Amino acid sequence: MVKIKKTELNEFIEFLMKDYDVYSPADVGKKAAFKKIKSAFEIKHAITNTHLSPKDVFFPQSEVLFQYSDDGLKVPKREEKAIAVWGMRNCDTSSLLMLNKVFGDAHQMPDKDMYKDPYWKMKYDNCLIFNQACNEPLSTCFCNWFEGNPFAKKGADIFVVDTGDHFILEGISDKGKTFLSKYKAGEETTKVDLNKIAKLKETAESYLPDVVDIKPLFNKMNKIWDEPIWEEISAKCINCGACTFVCPTCHCFDVSDEGKGKKGQRIRLWDSCMFQIFTREASGHNPRGLSTQRVRQRIMHKYNYFMDNYEQYLCTGCGRCVQVCPVNLDIREVIKKVLDYKLSKNEEI
Amino acid sequence: MQQLVKKVKEIIKNKEVDVVIGWGRGSLPFSATPIFVETEKDVEKLIFDETCRNNLTTYLTKDKRRISKEYKKIGIIVKGCDSRSVVLYTVENQIKRENVVLIGVPCNGVFEKKKLSQLVEGKEILDFQIDVDNIIIKGRNFEQTHPLKDALCDPCLTCQYPDAPEYDYFIGTPRKDVNVPDAYKMINDFGEKSAEERWAYIQEEYSKCIRCYACRNICPSCYCPECFVDQNDPQWIGKTPEVTDSIIFHLIRNLHVAGRCVDCGACVSACPVDLDLRIMSKKVEKEIKERFDYTAGTDINEKPAMASYCENEKQDFIMG
Amino acid sequence: MCNCDNTYIPIPMKVEKIVIDNPDRSLRTYDLSFVNEEDENKFKYMPGQFCEFSILGKGESPFGIASSPTEEGLKFTVSRTGSVTNEIHYLEEGDIVGIRGPMGNWYPLEKLKGQDVVIVGGGFAFTTLRSMIVYMLENRDDYGKITVIYGARHPDLFIYKEELKIWDKRDDIILHLTVDKPVKGWDKLCGFVPAITKDVKPDPTSWCIVCGPPIMIKFTLPVLLEIGFAHDKIYTSLERRMKCGIGKCGRCGIGSKYVCIDGPVFSYEELKKIPDAF
Repeated sequence: MVKIKKTELNEFIEFLMKDYDVYSPADVGKKAAFKKIKSAFEIKHAITNTHLSPKDVFFPQSEVLFQYSDDGLKVPKREEKAIAVWGMRNCDTSSLLMLNKVFGDAHQMPDKDMYKDPYWKMKYDNCLIFNQACNEPLSTCFCNWFEGNPFAKKGADIFVVDTGDHFILEGISDKGKTFLSKYKAGEETTKVDLNKIAKLKETAESYLPDVVDIKPLFNKMNKIWDEPIWEEISAKCINCGACTFVCPTCHCFDVSDEGKGKKGQRIRLWDSCMFQIFTREASGHNPRGLSTQRVRQRIMHKYNYFMDNYEQYLCTGCGRCVQVCPVNLDIREVIKKVLDYKLSKNEEI
Repeated sequence: MQQLVKKVKEIIKNKEVDVVIGWGRGSLPFSATPIFVETEKDVEKLIFDETCRNNLTTYLTKDKRRISKEYKKIGIIVKGCDSRSVVLYTVENQIKRENVVLIGVPCNGVFEKKKLSQLVEGKEILDFQIDVDNIIIKGRNFEQTHPLKDALCDPCLTCQYPDAPEYDYFIGTPRKDVNVPDAYKMINDFGEKSAEERWAYIQEEYSKCIRCYACRNICPSCYCPECFVDQNDPQWIGKTPEVTDSIIFHLIRNLHVAGRCVDCGACVSACPVDLDLRIMSKKVEKEIKERFDYTAGTDINEKPAMASYCENEKQDFIMG
Repeated sequence: MCNCDNTYIPIPMKVEKIVIDNPDRSLRTYDLSFVNEEDENKFKYMPGQFCEFSILGKGESPFGIASSPTEEGLKFTVSRTGSVTNEIHYLEEGDIVGIRGPMGNWYPLEKLKGQDVVIVGGGFAFTTLRSMIVYMLENRDDYGKITVIYGARHPDLFIYKEELKIWDKRDDIILHLTVDKPVKGWDKLCGFVPAITKDVKPDPTSWCIVCGPPIMIKFTLPVLLEIGFAHDKIYTSLERRMKCGIGKCGRCGIGSKYVCIDGPVFSYEELKKIPDAF
């Protein structure tokens, strides 16, 4: 473990910047989001979660797939340096592991390289994740429903705890351990520090909501496809994409060309299953024309379909969608409603 | 509140309406949530207070294929701005006035969650209490008192129509005489700045847009079955979050709601990245007011500004 | 980063021949040839698979491959419905277009070996069925009796009319062509595909491939089940708005499946477990 004085963080970040492009929570207007920083002074040491998720670092809202012109196609390349992300909470670190199953591992199609996403891989492979303990979970947090914990280290290369005056860094993965061993300026940690961390963890955990057992959710979802509950849940949804855009795990996208004449680029853009045009076909036929069908798709994708394909839920309980929904369609309440729902056809679960 | 519950129970019992759209307690502090009340039992869930932020009339026109159920006669609880939206729908032939039953409620302004959050420097708010003209905001390790008006939505601070101009029933006492400060002060102040400063502000502000369309979808005046943004043949504008694309989206949206915006501020509250959306919409509103002496949604017998023509209209923008 | 690993990069193909399939010119068939030999060598496909047809500046649309792997180049039939297909219709012979693929799975040709096969098609969704028929005729000895039921709204709306005439004359393939309503000069069958299927009453021990507009599939399936076809011997191909083609972008999700990688070909056995597949 390495102990760094907060006042000396910049030295560490500069050391990190020698090998990495560093992203960190920073002010973007009135909100906090992950962006590329030039010095430690830009880091926002937010006590709460960032408003926008870090998925943007690896899966940007808009990304050039290639440029085209008379000279042919040109694929953008990444700069030499790999990406390091400072200040990620475990809900976000977990989300990257989920997204990597979709983009990186091509889990469903293991033998074929064509199912791996080169744009994701060139950023995600070789990245260094600083997973920072979440000292003060918000009232909208529910990571503990998904086996998460504010002090969990899963997915971290380096685990960071903010103890007030210091950051205490612990190498978790081989990559993280190797990197930390190269940094010589830190102090040794003491028993006092470890006690402090234990205390912080205890306090953080006390802020979490009561755990809801979500294991039965998958099976329950299988049985309620045709039930009126979806109309009840979706009635107030206005089908904007706020929830899906702030979500660290939502990953639907659109591919679109921009250009004039023979010059231009093909880009991919975040898209949302909430939008009416998402599935509309050129013929006018729309398999998910009703708002109810779209809300069901979003919820089912998170708590049923993804489980079917990747053996886990596509949600980390970060609570961002709960915070931004303009009509307070609270996904925690949806989960509870589904779990409590009594089937109308007397089907036994 | 009791009066409201009593009235709604009555009209549901008499089958005057199939459903009443109102507000219920939300899951977060400072939040109310839209509820669709169909039975007498559910009426008890209705609330009305400073947290009832949403303009519920948006559900009257939005995407007719939202849910499979179709209501013939809809009751809806309205503040002043919400009632103006219904007037707008009526003059624009989107609804038949006789198919909606409006229940007006006296509005003293509603909270803006974002302003509250700024008051306590972004700390999480867990509870609040109103003490006459003050609001006591509570969080995990703090308790702060602020003037109540600092917590209200910006549109509420200059609202000239707190009482529903159009209603079938009114619960409580209308506020009647409202003393309104200069509604366009923010626009005039902004206009004082140099063009460069204004452009820089607009660019910085709209560069944050993530194109989630929450502003459009929550907006009662945005009810096109297919928005220009979604059309792809021709594709009018780019869909990237680049600032030029975003500014064009917001500019065109504002032109589309010119003379139709009731300044309910729903877009501002809905925006997940806190854009200053009123800097555009209020400016357009001011122009419409000055040129056509028209205020959207205040007179059910008046033709919309953009759908009528008078010979004495100012035409300097054409003739130079 | 090497282009060859990047599934998002289209390969160039040249438009060799354009056939206008119907009098209102809304359907056109394109024969494409590979510009680069290495692309051609790598491009291995089977009947039922699809490609993303790319017009730079306009975007991409998914189309089933209408040619058979036994033929040279690729064939696509495009109906003019949206902005990309509109642009495709402006193409001229000699133009270069982009193709990504082949994507998705294919008809169960291995399982069909030695079996009787019934093919039911409707409208211009006949593309991959053509691929399949050409493939089976080319390997004729591998398959049993081949029966084709093909319907269109109007005689003009059949695609591959010249080939249909040739097949009609062959004795190793039985062709039932039908139009929705009687038309002067039409001497073949008349009626909707489900009704004709009922009349033809194909042998239920054979395998059946159904492909057409969703509404046709919806009403044909019960007929096949009634005749007695086994659930795992009925196959169909689904259409969705596939964008990425590699199971990521989320558009073509039906239940936990993605049409672009788990399909587009599904057996009825699989489909009945997926809610709202059509």
